[in-house]
Amino acid sequence: MIDFKQHTLANGLRVLANRDECSGMAAVNILYAVGSADESAERTGFAHLFEHLMFRGTPAVPSYDTPVQEVCGENNAFTSADYTDFYVTMPKENFETGLWLEADRMRGLNIDAETLEVEKSVVIEEFRQRYLNRPYGEQWHTLRSMVYTTSPYRWPVIGLTPDHIREASVEEVRAFYDRFYIPSGAILSVSADIEPERVFEAAERYFGHLPTLPAPVRGDLHQEPLAGPVRKVIEAPVPADQITIAFLMDRRSERGYYICDLLTDLLAGGESARIFQHLVKQKQIFSAANAYITGEVGEGLLILTGQLCSGVTIEQAEEALYEELRLLSEEPIGEYELQKVKNKFEANITFGELNVMNKAMNLGYYAMLGDMALLNGEIDIYRSITAEEIATYVRTRLVPQRSATLIYRKTK
Amino acid sequence: MQRPPINLTPNPRVPHTTLHTCDNGTRLYTLHNSKQGVVRVSFIFRAGTSWQSVPFSASATINTLSEGTERFSSLEIAERLDFVGSYFDANIDRDWAVLTYCSLSKFAAETFEIAEQVVLHPTFPEREVGVYCAKRKEQLIVQRSKPDHLSRELFGQSIFGADHPYGITSPAEAYDRLTREDIALFYSTHYTAENCFAVLCGDITEEHIAHTKAILEQLPHGVIDKRTIPAPASTPRAELKVDGAVQSCLKIGRPLFPRTHPDFVPMQIISTALGGYFGSRLMQNLRERHGYTYGAYAAMINLDQSGYFVMSADVASEYTEAAIGEMLHEVERFCSEPMGDNELQMVRNIIFGDVMRIFDGPFGVADVTIENIQNSTDNSYTERFLQQVATCTAEQLQQVAAKYLQKDLLTITTVGE
Repeated sequence: MIDFKQHTLANGLRVLANRDECSGMAAVNILYAVGSADESAERTGFAHLFEHLMFRGTPAVPSYDTPVQEVCGENNAFTSADYTDFYVTMPKENFETGLWLEADRMRGLNIDAETLEVEKSVVIEEFRQRYLNRPYGEQWHTLRSMVYTTSPYRWPVIGLTPDHIREASVEEVRAFYDRFYIPSGAILSVSADIEPERVFEAAERYFGHLPTLPAPVRGDLHQEPLAGPVRKVIEAPVPADQITIAFLMDRRSERGYYICDLLTDLLAGGESARIFQHLVKQKQIFSAANAYITGEVGEGLLILTGQLCSGVTIEQAEEALYEELRLLSEEPIGEYELQKVKNKFEANITFGELNVMNKAMNLGYYAMLGDMALLNGEIDIYRSITAEEIATYVRTRLVPQRSATLIYRKTK
Repeated sequence: MQRPPINLTPNPRVPHTTLHTCDNGTRLYTLHNSKQGVVRVSFIFRAGTSWQSVPFSASATINTLSEGTERFSSLEIAERLDFVGSYFDANIDRDWAVLTYCSLSKFAAETFEIAEQVVLHPTFPEREVGVYCAKRKEQLIVQRSKPDHLSRELFGQSIFGADHPYGITSPAEAYDRLTREDIALFYSTHYTAENCFAVLCGDITEEHIAHTKAILEQLPHGVIDKRTIPAPASTPRAELKVDGAVQSCLKIGRPLFPRTHPDFVPMQIISTALGGYFGSRLMQNLRERHGYTYGAYAAMINLDQSGYFVMSADVASEYTEAAIGEMLHEVERFCSEPMGDNELQMVRNIIFGDVMRIFDGPFGVADVTIENIQNSTDNSYTERFLQQVATCTAEQLQQVAAKYLQKDLLTITTVGE
């Protein structure tokens, strides 16, 4: 349970504040409503590249990190398909330093050819380290392109290819900044032992003078489901064969999202979950297996995946995964098992709210979703979902006809 | 906009623990530090991998403790914990094995009931052990196809020696020979009253304390483990070729000493300055100035009877030699000129900030407590540590660097094309 108050500045910046009386730290989070889904198909990876550039300094603050470190602070950022998040934690006495820095770089960033070149090479190295220099590294590029044909979710956050990053120009970077990094496209959230009114007053002082500009409008995220099964086999020097089955699921705002979240927990949420017990421990089909949702705002993916034990065929592995889906749809799910996954959500929510950083981040995320009632109310949605709803969903939606299957075969 | 004034942080307050000594001598440390409705208990055993004589027996012991007990099967344990939303974590390093349970306070009794069975009455069922070994073997093979994993193994072997307890690695096939008897023997030898302490924290009650003590008091007596870790035998340079790797994983460092050594903290400050934060010298040089890498770090690692200094970076293959040159250059610079006041103050702030962040939330304090007890001290150490960080001078740091970080004393390992 996170208590909060909210306030919107005249220029459109939304501000949320949580008072945590136990902590000596303050967390300042700023979320921009821009992610890889806002990129053009010719300039993928741009939102993430821009996240890096936000640390490149302004005329007033040549190095973002220096003032943070001078107040014993720590900061970082991440980019998703739907948003870009920046956070800084520091002793609460210094929380205004966080506001000052974020206000300064919201409109005052240095963007020149030289900084852009260095940051491009850093991001290209990140691309190599995470996606090229490891087994199965390109799997998300492949899988996304199999399920998504029109939606901008068809490329991963890192981008389609290092070439897109290499080709980004200073003009494009400036246009992107002016379109998305503005008060009406941002959400500021603070968690600390500080009165919310003081947070709002400080936000006014640091951000109030920034210009009022129209809020960025998001393009179409919609993706039609696959008309028939798609399948791809990659032969590569991977350590073990692997199968991944992806299904297009419902948007974040729909009930189907929660159904999918619960049903992947029935399959793989914890040691006692079905896939782990049946397929890893008992039948020993997989050495590791998982089921989860990717959780985008638009239609995301429900993923079933496993690395095969040696001697098991791809056909056996695939059949075993579908057998688990069949059990969910045909055998009634017991009250006890459903209660178990619901309890787990409650515990995970509590464990996820133990420090100021997580709380500030959660405030920003739910404000971005546009429904603050969900912040403390989602547990009730999970509790209301019935076994019949899950069975129906599996029967109608998680069928081979709607699946994308990516297989890795180990080269001999 | 005017910059807000810097409020110099008061020294972080380090919460002190309450010690309860059980009848059999086992120590329980408690911290009542949360109103958030959560509790955490950790059981810490002197049973890390350097204590094993049979390959993988130490990690197999802690990882199969929950695979079956006198009262509950593996599945029942998992079911009961999942039902109340509790989770457990088994963690092992070279020296220690740590078993941790987190739970909502309202479900602590159910969670402790499982912990009691797992800590005191594991049966290591033959079948479950077999599944575990087969699975871990496959996972290890997967791990060993990754350059970063290979790099960690190669570095350990190269600074300590391939047969040294802190450097040794075993072939994946050793899992085929590991038996339940090996595991049961390791358990009965090392999971004893003499080898254990526990830390309980969160929203705790007298009942939670009594329940934890009741578990600890049933631990049997054993022999007190004593050993002398042999001196390291380092190699100056080692390379491992991985075909098709687009990056080289570089590590440079050397064995040094444990945290109890008077030069450990200065070396920790030096490591932080070199690669412990975003503005550190290695990050500025390799990432910001040259774009060789996405990330570089340096650290001083504490072991029970040793310790080591390490710098690490994954760099584009074509820049391998250039990056090694820059890393060595940064070390040399440390040996030849004192740090500036601004940088030193910055590094102090980084370390203070890290400690304060660990203390945000109820569980971090427990982690600090565990580390302090492992090092035969208590939470007053953290206060002395912060004091030493605050007062250590640039001249002292330069002297320490010059003493330990001369180029010919360092080991360089490379994994890549």
